Amino acid sequence: MEFTWYEFTWAIINFLVILAILYKFFYNPVIKFLDNRSDEIRRNISEAEQARAEAEAVLEEYRNKLAGAKQEAQEIVARATRVGEEARAALLEQSRAEAAALLEKAHQEIQRERDDALKTLRQEVASLAVMAAEKILGRTVTKEDHTKMVDQFLDEVGEVH
Amino acid sequence: MGRKGVQEVEGHTSDILFKLFGLPVTSHVTTMWAIMAVLLVLCLIVSRSLQKVPGRLQSLAEFTVEGLLNFFGGILGREKARRYFPFLATFFLFILFSNWSGILPGAGHLKGFKPPTSTWSVTIGLAIVVFVLVQVAGIREKGLGYLKHFIQPIPILLPLNIIEELVKPLSLSLRLYGNIFGEETVAAVLLSLAPYFSPIPMQLLGLLFGFIQALVFTTLAAIYISIATAEGH
Repeated sequence: MEFTWYEFTWAIINFLVILAILYKFFYNPVIKFLDNRSDEIRRNISEAEQARAEAEAVLEEYRNKLAGAKQEAQEIVARATRVGEEARAALLEQSRAEAAALLEKAHQEIQRERDDALKTLRQEVASLAVMAAEKILGRTVTKEDHTKMVDQFLDEVGEVH
Repeated sequence: MGRKGVQEVEGHTSDILFKLFGLPVTSHVTTMWAIMAVLLVLCLIVSRSLQKVPGRLQSLAEFTVEGLLNFFGGILGREKARRYFPFLATFFLFILFSNWSGILPGAGHLKGFKPPTSTWSVTIGLAIVVFVLVQVAGIREKGLGYLKHFIQPIPILLPLNIIEELVKPLSLSLRLYGNIFGEETVAAVLLSLAPYFSPIPMQLLGLLFGFIQALVFTTLAAIYISIATAEGH
């Protein structure tokens, strides 16, 4: 084991020189670079997380909108169905009423026709009966006779009826 | 033969290649320069082409930086680890490359190529840097209050406390030097006994030991800083 001052001195000088070189050309740039990169990665990650959160919020919003639209559509369909039902019911009711009115009118018509016919028939029968009676009696039927006979006849006819 | 191998590794008294600024330059010093050049080229390649999606070399560099940062963070806490990271990481890389340079063929045999950490002069130099760093860190984090720990728990322990501080770099440097020098010696002896294949297991172990010794030196340096800067010491 030998010791020489000049090698000792050179060792210290050389160490300080290589320290300066490595500091300037290696540690400083590499550490700065690594720091920058980790900063950038951290920033990118946080940005990505933010973007994801935003995307999720938008998705949620659209889901809500979609659900709202579906509900609205259902409501519209339901309302339309209800309106249709009501219109149908109203139309039905109206036509039923019209039909009933028509029927009623027809009944009245028939009734009136029958009454007319009956009245006409009664007059015909009355005059025929008078004529027949005049023939049979051979004389003119007086007013009293006439009235009496017609009433009698009509009573009979009424009983038959 | 074995003795010759030991002499080849250790004998550097007459190893002065030339002088620079009046300081003699040895093979250990030139090897340090080569390691520095390799580190410089590597980190230039990496730092010039930093990509968001890293290539292989950049992945390795990122792994090294992050791994060491986490490792020191476990000892010192995140903030202090970042503050002293340049020193600690440089100890690790410089020592690691120095140790591994001894595995390359020709280490210790070629002129101008000897693993720097295989001489105590270099390891004590590094350990003295650790010593100064620890004292500066202590004063910086705790102010002059740091110096109070030299007279605690009682002032009479001052000499012992000073010895304790001085023993730290001594043990650091001797451990590193002893391991790497011993390993180099074993490899040299094996090589001189049976030149072919026999050094291979030793070289493989050298990879592992080189890593472990670099990690031990750096870990202890971090622990010393942690002790010196701990609150309520």
